[in-house]
Amino acid sequence: MAGSDEGGKMLDFADSRQVSLPISRVKLIMKSSPDVNNINQDALFLTAKATELFVQYLAAYSYKKGSGRESKCLTYHDLARSPEECDTFQFLADILPKKILARDYFKLLEEKEKEDEGDGEETDDSD
Amino acid sequence: MDGDNSTTDASQLGIAGDYIGGSHYVLQSQEDDGDDGMNDNEDGIGSKDGFREQDIYLPIANVARIMKNAIPPTGKIAKDAKECVQECVSEFISFITSEASERCHQEKRKTINGEDILFAMSTLGFDSYVEPLKLYLQKFREAMKGEKGIVTSVTVTDGLGDELADESFIDFCLCTSANQLPAGLITADGQQQNVMVYTTSYQQVRILKHYTYRNLVRPSKDCTEL
Repeated sequence: MAGSDEGGKMLDFADSRQVSLPISRVKLIMKSSPDVNNINQDALFLTAKATELFVQYLAAYSYKKGSGRESKCLTYHDLARSPEECDTFQFLADILPKKILARDYFKLLEEKEKEDEGDGEETDDSD
Repeated sequence: MDGDNSTTDASQLGIAGDYIGGSHYVLQSQEDDGDDGMNDNEDGIGSKDGFREQDIYLPIANVARIMKNAIPPTGKIAKDAKECVQECVSEFISFITSEASERCHQEKRKTINGEDILFAMSTLGFDSYVEPLKLYLQKFREAMKGEKGIVTSVTVTDGLGDELADESFIDFCLCTSANQLPAGLITADGQQQNVMVYTTSYQQVRILKHYTYRNLVRPSKDCTEL
């Protein structure tokens, strides 16, 4: 059977009335989800358009929350805070881990070890 | 690793996972500001020898442009922020798609349609997008409609699948899913070409730049699926 989904390519709608993202790439990403068979034209367009809206929303939201820290620059850090502050971005929590300098991390580790040792001693003493 | 300066893999650090505690951290090098062009892929595809599914992103230039339009003109965007949003976008698309796909399966359909997408959006907390998207869809459809007339067109691709191959060969076709007929044609030299046949009574194929018509064929009863 001919691949009805593969046949035909869509033009990228560079026109600003349409979408500014490559539809073929959007389709590729969609098809990488398990159990996806075919995707209708409308669905493709809606997804591409929604993605644009999403990018705008994420950027604007993070920038607004962030300004004051690194003024006038949208940083990774601003983005990483968004899942905590807005439920809609919760699904991004796993791919937006916060960054920590190695030396700070090792400091944290040391402190934790000290706490654990402290607990250990107390347990021994309680008779 | 991908040449990234940061790692989330605790085992690589020789540290037991439970030390990470409640929060999930990624280690950052001192100069980690994205200057070093890590994973510098304008194209948005992962490794050079073919892509892994998890590495499929939208091109960073497009993403960056949309971000720029969303913040004040004097604002700047860090490079790692752009790359990060690239990944978020792929995550978003997958997120919506899997929800829509589930609904599709529940209703025993094989093709995800616009309704599934809109439904997924409102289920996942993006219901504020639904109305604007409907309007956009309307405009999109109107832009595609042309004068009345019977038009038949066929687009042909040389092989199966690879949508990223050969950008110089782009066939543009308009249809609604109800009017599509997949078919395989055996050409005169015995090769099979994959064909999408459209018939419609009120759509006109728009001639836009960057397309070529390979064939114009009337659908006939000889057109069979192979």
